[in-house]
Amino acid sequence: MEPVNPKDRLIRRVAAALRGHKGPVPAAPPASLPVPAGGANRVARFQELFEAQGGDFLSASALEPLLLALGEALRLSGVATLLFPNDDPAARQVAEALVPFGPFTLASPSELRQPSGRPVAGIQSAEYAVAETGSLVQTSRGGKTLLPGLLADVHVALLSPAAFVDRMDECLAALSDDPPRNISFITGPSRTADIEQTLTIGAHGPRKVIAVVFP
Amino acid sequence: MEPRSRSFHRNSEKALANPALQSAISRTTGKFLGQRADAIAEFPGFEAARDEGSRIKGEALDHLDRHLARFIAEAEKRGAVVHVARDDAEAREIAAGIATREGIALAVKSKSMAAEEVDLNTALEGAGVEVVESDLGEFIIQLAGEPPSHIIAPAVHKTREEVSRLFQEKLGEPYTDQIPELVRIARRRLREKFLSAGMGISGANFLCADTGSVVLVTNEGNGRMGTILPRVHLVVAGIEKVIPALSDLPVFLRLLPRSATGQVISTYVSVLTGVKRPEDAEGPEKLHILLVDNGRTGILQGKYREILKCIRCGACLNICPVYQSVGGHAYGWVYPGPMGSVLTPLQTGLSQGAPLANASTLCGACADVCPVKIPLPDMLLELRGDEREQGLKAPAELLGVKAYAAVMRRAGILEALERIAGVLSQLFFKEGKVPWLPFKLSGWTDRRDFPAPSPQPFRKLWKKQRGIRPWNR
Repeated sequence: MEPVNPKDRLIRRVAAALRGHKGPVPAAPPASLPVPAGGANRVARFQELFEAQGGDFLSASALEPLLLALGEALRLSGVATLLFPNDDPAARQVAEALVPFGPFTLASPSELRQPSGRPVAGIQSAEYAVAETGSLVQTSRGGKTLLPGLLADVHVALLSPAAFVDRMDECLAALSDDPPRNISFITGPSRTADIEQTLTIGAHGPRKVIAVVFP
Repeated sequence: MEPRSRSFHRNSEKALANPALQSAISRTTGKFLGQRADAIAEFPGFEAARDEGSRIKGEALDHLDRHLARFIAEAEKRGAVVHVARDDAEAREIAAGIATREGIALAVKSKSMAAEEVDLNTALEGAGVEVVESDLGEFIIQLAGEPPSHIIAPAVHKTREEVSRLFQEKLGEPYTDQIPELVRIARRRLREKFLSAGMGISGANFLCADTGSVVLVTNEGNGRMGTILPRVHLVVAGIEKVIPALSDLPVFLRLLPRSATGQVISTYVSVLTGVKRPEDAEGPEKLHILLVDNGRTGILQGKYREILKCIRCGACLNICPVYQSVGGHAYGWVYPGPMGSVLTPLQTGLSQGAPLANASTLCGACADVCPVKIPLPDMLLELRGDEREQGLKAPAELLGVKAYAAVMRRAGILEALERIAGVLSQLFFKEGKVPWLPFKLSGWTDRRDFPAPSPQPFRKLWKKQRGIRPWNR
């Protein structure tokens, strides 16, 4: 009997099509793929690729010079407001410590939904940094917001040394049992080359992305 | 989209006569090719990744029934509603129904070739929905009322002056010839739309069967905006986008951006799984996934199954000497270049798409760059055979090819003809060039001189220049 559900009908149709023709015999999967990994140079590899895609990278062995550099970078970008998620203590700590370097005012990410016209920076801890591609990984795991890396003019991603992994596979494996609703790999600022193939920064998302590695 | 591939030759003539288009195409393809070559030179694992990507796609297609069933079950388990459309009309009907039931007035759309295939915008606009294209290139051509001309860079054929005049005329913006300013205008206009749209529409680069995830690869960030901010997310994707597992994704992420734009990875990769959870801060409350067949099960059945491995990187377009000459619009449907020349006849019918299969020199460059190793030239040749079997070839062409074969099989006749041609060319073409040929043959001489036949036959030249007979080597 012909199934009534269109989804079942599709599966039947596909199955019937597959019976009609055998595809080429697939090769055996390779034992391993040569993928450029970071190894001991994980952070350096991440920095190289992240910067190649227009991202900014900051790291220092002490907190004070790091905050100084970050505050300077934000001021130069014309940032007046710092946003951080309420459930992100590291981001709150950094934002509060940055205030004297500004002047900056503090706000919560929900304000991003009403654009004010003045540049804002969204500060948030990133879950992973992938050396293979130079990507930050932000997810919605545990109800985390994605707005700082989406709507802010400057996205500041905080990384702990433990966040660095060699390959994409490692962070996907850690997330694949119960994938959060949104896993985002972010590699540099939003860009377009749709007009005359000319690379232009800030198409829709942040114009500047700063990865900050905390000691 | 209504196919116009039958008029490929007429479309090509127009494209060849347009110098602005010519320079736009060569700038784009040249840039993509150069960046691709650099990216691959820096990635020694590329060949191995190609083999693995091709293998996984092959496995996914050979058991597509199982993987599709799994994808549907896993996506629905996580709150998605999966719809299935057998053809373009059904897809339009379903999409319009979704928009009406969800009460959508404004939708922001990021690039989806499948949506282009089924002419989704028309259906939604018919249902009273304002559909705004949010990819900058698509936004531009939507304002201009044109179809995309490249699957990766849809507005390659527009200059900054044309874009600015378009923004002036359609959006009331002041004229500027600064590209960053044009991007700022589009950003501001589209940000308002993202924040107020009820529905985001996207395609899918990959669908992961084991988790029901939808994967989007973009550079601008429009794909992220439209899938995080609006209340409803509609995915429109071909059934062949399914890969077995989320863990298969990294291989394709190593292949796609490198092949497309020469990037190690695109700026944004989103893996989207299910609807907004109770604890989530944002995200769509409703997720509709519309799986489009539109001829794909038919392709699966036959000798062209491997074309469904295509991950839409555009590398075969950029490397193709025909695409480089005529651009995307000439192909007359959604998919241009070598992959389009295979897909179009298969999806729209051979009587419509056959001119595309013939518009290739079979040089093989497309197969060399294909990240999933689709034997594109073999398929183009096979399609010509099908055209012959279905009686679609013109009698003159058949006669010509028969005559050619008859001559080429007989060395003596070939040599005699060569000598005659040689003598005639000595008499008529002084500088070794043929500037003009009559009738259908004028295609060889309209835009350049054809080299005149040599006074000596080929085999004689061969002997002299090589000093030996080839069959004695």
